[in-house]
Parts: sequence; structure tokens; C-alpha cells
Amino acid sequence: MNLFEKIFNYQIISRLEDSGTFMVSSQERAWLKTMLEHPAAAQAFTSETLDKLQSILKTDQVMDTSHFLIEKARSIEKQVYHPLLRIFRRHIMNKCGVHLSYEIKGGRTINDQLALPYKLEYSIVKREWYLLWYHLKRKAFMSTRLKNIVSISPETIQLSDVDRIFNRISQILDSRKNNVILEVVPEYNRELSRILYALSSFEKEVEYDEENDIYRVKICLLGGESEYLLSKLRFLGKRVRVIEGKYLKRRLLEASMKALERYGVNPSKEELSHK
Amino acid sequence: MAKESFDKEIQFLRMLVLTSGAFSRQQFADRLGISIHTFDKTTRRLKEIVGSMYQHLPEEQSKEFAETFRFSYYDSTDPVLLFLFRAKSVKGSESQRISLLLGAMNEQALTAMELLDICCSGMSSDLPLPDEKTIRSDLKYLEEVGVIKKEQGPRPYRYRIQNDLVSALSDDELIDLYDFVDVMANTQVPSVQGYLLRDGLKKNLLRNHTDKHAIEPFLYRYQYYSRILDEAHLFTLLSAIRHHCRVRFLYFSPKSEKSYASKNTNPLFERESNGKVVKTLPLKVVYDHQYGRWYLLSYGREGILKFRMEGITQIEEDMPVDESLFETKTNELEEKIRYSWLIDTGRPVTVRARFYNPGPTESNFVKERVLLQGQWGEIVSEDDVSFTYEITVNGTTEIKPWLRSFGSSCEVLEPIQLRREMIAEWKEIQSYYEFV
Repeated sequence: MNLFEKIFNYQIISRLEDSGTFMVSSQERAWLKTMLEHPAAAQAFTSETLDKLQSILKTDQVMDTSHFLIEKARSIEKQVYHPLLRIFRRHIMNKCGVHLSYEIKGGRTINDQLALPYKLEYSIVKREWYLLWYHLKRKAFMSTRLKNIVSISPETIQLSDVDRIFNRISQILDSRKNNVILEVVPEYNRELSRILYALSSFEKEVEYDEENDIYRVKICLLGGESEYLLSKLRFLGKRVRVIEGKYLKRRLLEASMKALERYGVNPSKEELSHK
Repeated sequence: MAKESFDKEIQFLRMLVLTSGAFSRQQFADRLGISIHTFDKTTRRLKEIVGSMYQHLPEEQSKEFAETFRFSYYDSTDPVLLFLFRAKSVKGSESQRISLLLGAMNEQALTAMELLDICCSGMSSDLPLPDEKTIRSDLKYLEEVGVIKKEQGPRPYRYRIQNDLVSALSDDELIDLYDFVDVMANTQVPSVQGYLLRDGLKKNLLRNHTDKHAIEPFLYRYQYYSRILDEAHLFTLLSAIRHHCRVRFLYFSPKSEKSYASKNTNPLFERESNGKVVKTLPLKVVYDHQYGRWYLLSYGREGILKFRMEGITQIEEDMPVDESLFETKTNELEEKIRYSWLIDTGRPVTVRARFYNPGPTESNFVKERVLLQGQWGEIVSEDDVSFTYEITVNGTTEIKPWLRSFGSSCEVLEPIQLRREMIAEWKEIQSYYEFV
């Protein structure tokens, strides 16, 4: 199996696109056949479609990667598919509203809110699906775990100004963006690649100050990403330092003080005794 | 002709994605150990591919090359690096011929001679016309890669495109299929074939629905985008493992980064003499979810060896070994990595840590995360404010960052050495922010 097949060549692909030809190789079918063995497949298709797919792929091979490929530090895969995905994706496609009932913190249920589903978001870290939606009455952008959704009204509501709402959502999302700057502590420059790998899931730009041999990473945080970045920063420990970002700095200082307290180290006393 | 290698493109893209915007042309070229001329040539080539891949998506049309890699979360879920796998060179005449053939077989089953006629009348006048032998060898290739199928029946054989995957499904079923492929490619490894399939299905859907919003309902937060670059070597390695074959490659160890501290980002493109020729028996490939990186574990004269996939270049399969040797070494390795948090094969130690629950009003996200990510470790005791987690791991180096990521919610109890290291690190972190 070679991923650099001639048949995947970009010129061929774009010509096929022009002529409206769909092409699929045995490699892709083998991948699909393997994935259909995952329990998620049962939630992704109706049983008729699943049967149909299995019969189409009957003569294809399965990828036997599982014997030689090991995954480490993987989270428990508690959810790959969710039964509501198929329903919401169609509402999103048709740009229509629904009435939602969902549970909030503390176990209280909020009933029948008029919602415009926007996107479905999967957190690779938490291994869970969220519905991103617009709360029409409160004019607010919301994110709700699919597992907390209690019910969706069967009837859909045609909304007249969906595109305007989508623009509004983009504005809200933009307004929640926030830049912070980190610096790789020069002593750890040799670990740069590892550090950048760890930060590679953020929108970022790297700056290199050649004169002082310092790397600075400007991260554009989207709403709600601070907590995850903080856990990454604690993960990297003393290798990176926050240069700009008051909130992050304060939280890291707090974390270090509290942690030292847990270990029975009282830094302020030590500090005083040195002086 | 020498086998086309994509090592240069892979290193180039990895550096571009990881260090986006950091370096000038000259600095970038220096770090890769290539001339500025080669740098420009590689950029031009990759640009051409990107341009051609995205020409039919109006929103993406104006995207500049560098911007393509400065990914923007809400904009598109197309994996930006996928085009690497579109880079195999094909002559202009060949790409035109193959697409003509496939286009023709898309409508009906045809014989080689019929296809020859179609090709001869369809090719641009400035290109040489194909002969029967060429068409037959094209058909053989297309059949081998599973794109077309020979129909049953008497000679002359008829060929048709093998696209039941879309032709047998209704529009609604195609949406389910596209979604499934999208979700699995984004959440499972390996993923490149999934992304390639997603690409084909997406274009097929776009022919019916022009609205991009309808095509991309899913987002994946905290994805490691560069992981697909390393899948380039994955199947060569898996095939070698399957056939118990040794492999040869030129390795640029990340450890050498230390000896080239002034060129610390990526020595992978330094002169060849800086790399090391390795011949080794591959046993397992490891994907590390913590960093989104790949490793090769193998057996060599020195015992168990570990290689970072990103340092492997010019890989080739070598001679097979005895099955019994392969089996013995695989069993040995499996035993050694049983307690590896990632790939450490050091001495097993028991780590005990106390985790503190958040306040009673909040949901217990600390425990949730320990249960989710704590691998084979167990919660051995619990009270109102905290719980104790215990795990046997090979060495403490690999688990340490994870424990530290919990901040003050985690107190390492044992081993005492790890506890001391944690205290020292927290002191240092505190010193970074104390007087700010």
C-alpha cells in the first residue's frame, strides 16, 4: 500500500473533478471496510445502508494495521458517534430551527428553547460531541454537550434570516478571540520541536528573534480555550513562559503556589528567610 | 529512474506548519540545509498543487500559500496537509489520458480498443497520441489500484469504473457515508486514506449541494494537524513488519538536535553526512496521542531501538529474517512496553498520586479526566476531598508532564524522587510569574 500513488495525483484529481467523475481506490475502500468494523458504524447508518455498504465492500481487503500499530496515551474512547449527530447534521444542512430541551449544570432542565443548530463539534481531548447553536430568544451563541440534550421537537421551523444569524455568529466568535504570547525558555530550545508539537492544535504564529535566539509563539485563543491551553502549559512546565496574557500568568502563579502548598512547601517563608 | 522520494516535501511542510511564520526564506532554507533556490522550487511546486486542489472551492481560491497553513479553526475542516499525498509526479499526457479513460468508463463499460479511440480523439493536439500497449498498461494499473473492474464475459474484455460506493447509494445515504468518513478520519488512525476518500465524497456532494455550510457540519477541536505527514512512512513499515523484513533508512535523531544546538529546530535537512544509516528489524509502530507523534520500535544489534518517525528518510525494505526471530523479538518487545506510558522501556516503578476534587458545587472534572486519560492506572482509595491514583509505569519521565498538567489538583506521593522533582519544577514555574 503506497500513499503516493499516481492515481492520487493532483492533476488527475482536478481533471476528474471537471468531468464529474467519482473515483475510489482499493486503499480507500480497505480503510472504509476497516472503519465499518468500529462500533460507531452502527450509529452512523441505518441498518439497510450498513448492509448495502458491507455488500459493496465484500470483495475488498481489510487493513490489518491493528496487529502492528499501537496507540499510546490515548483517552478512553467513550463516544465516537452520537445518535443525535444524524439528526442535527440534517437540520444544519437545511438551515432550520428546532425546539430544544437540555440539561444544565446542577441537573435542571431548560425546556423548549428555539434554537438554530450551527455546527457539531467534537473535542479530541474530552472525546465528546457538542452542539454549537444560536439561542434565538436570548440572541446568544451556545455550546451544549449532546449527552445533555433531553429532546428535540420533531417539527422544524423555517427561519427567514438564517444567513444574517450565521454572520452574527461569526462576529461573536471573532469577538471572543484573544491573543497571548509565550516564549520558549532558551535553555529548552533544543526541545522546540516537541514544544511546538504540543502546541500544534492551536491557531498560532511563531516568531524567531535571531539575535537573542528566542522563539516566541503567538497563540490566538478562541473562546473557552484558555483552560486547555493552561493544562498544556502546565504539561510543558518550565519549558515555556507566558509573556503576554494576564489571565494565564495569574492562573499559573496560583497553580504553582497552591501546588507548593500541597507539598508542604511555603515559598513565601523561604523567600523571607533568604532575605 | 530513482524512486521518487517525498522526504523533502514532508520535512518542508512539517517545518512550515510547526513554525508558521517564524523564519525568513533564507533562515528557513538554512535550517532545512537546502539552498534558497531549492527552497523556492519546492515552494513553487507545492503552491501549484494547492492551487489546483482548491480551484473549485470559491472561498478558498484566493488563499495564499502560507496562509493555507495558518489554519483557521472555524473556516474549513479540510486537512491542509493532505495535498502532500497528491504530489506524485505524473506527466501531463499521462494525467490527461488517465482522466479521459476514467471519464469514459464512468458512463459505460468499454473495451481497450474503444478506449484507445476515445483517447485519440480526446487528447489535446499538442500531446502525443497513445498506442494500444499504453492503454493496456494503463488499464492494468487502474485495475491494480482498484479504480476499475474487468467485467465478466467473453473477450474482448470490457472495463468499467468501480464506483458502486456512490452509484449504489441514495443522496441521503451518501450524506451518512460522508459524515462517517469525516468523523472516522478525524478521530482514528491511520487517517490518510480516509481523508482521501472524504475529499472524493465531498466533491461528489458539492456537485449536488453548492452550499459549503451543508458540506461541513463538523468541527474537531484540538486536532494534531501534522500527524498525517508521518503516515507517509507508515505503510512501508507495516508491510515490512508483516513480511518480517528489515528496513534501511537514513535517520536524523532528535538527540542530535542537542549537538547542533544553534540549528535547533530541525536538523533533518542538514547534509546527509549528519544522518545515520540504519538497518533494523521493525516490530511495532506507535502513535502517541499526547503529542500527535509517531514512533518506530525495532530490533537491532543493540537490542530494542526506538526511532521518531519524523527523523526517518529514504526508507527502503531490505531482506526478510526468520519468522522465529521475528516472533521472539516481538514477544520480548511486547513484554517490555507493557508498562510504557509512551515508549519508555526502563525499569517499572509504581507511581502514586493524590488528586484533589474541585469544590462540591462543581462537577468532578479532575476525576473524569483521570479516568479518561489515566491509561491502566487505578483509583485505589477515595475520600470526600480527594482520591489516590496508582499506576506501574516504566520510568517516570513520560508520565510526569501529564501529572503536572493537573496543576495543584495533583500531589505526587511516590516515588519520592518524582515528588522532589515536581516540587523543584513548581518552584521554578512560580519564579517565572512571582514578580510580574
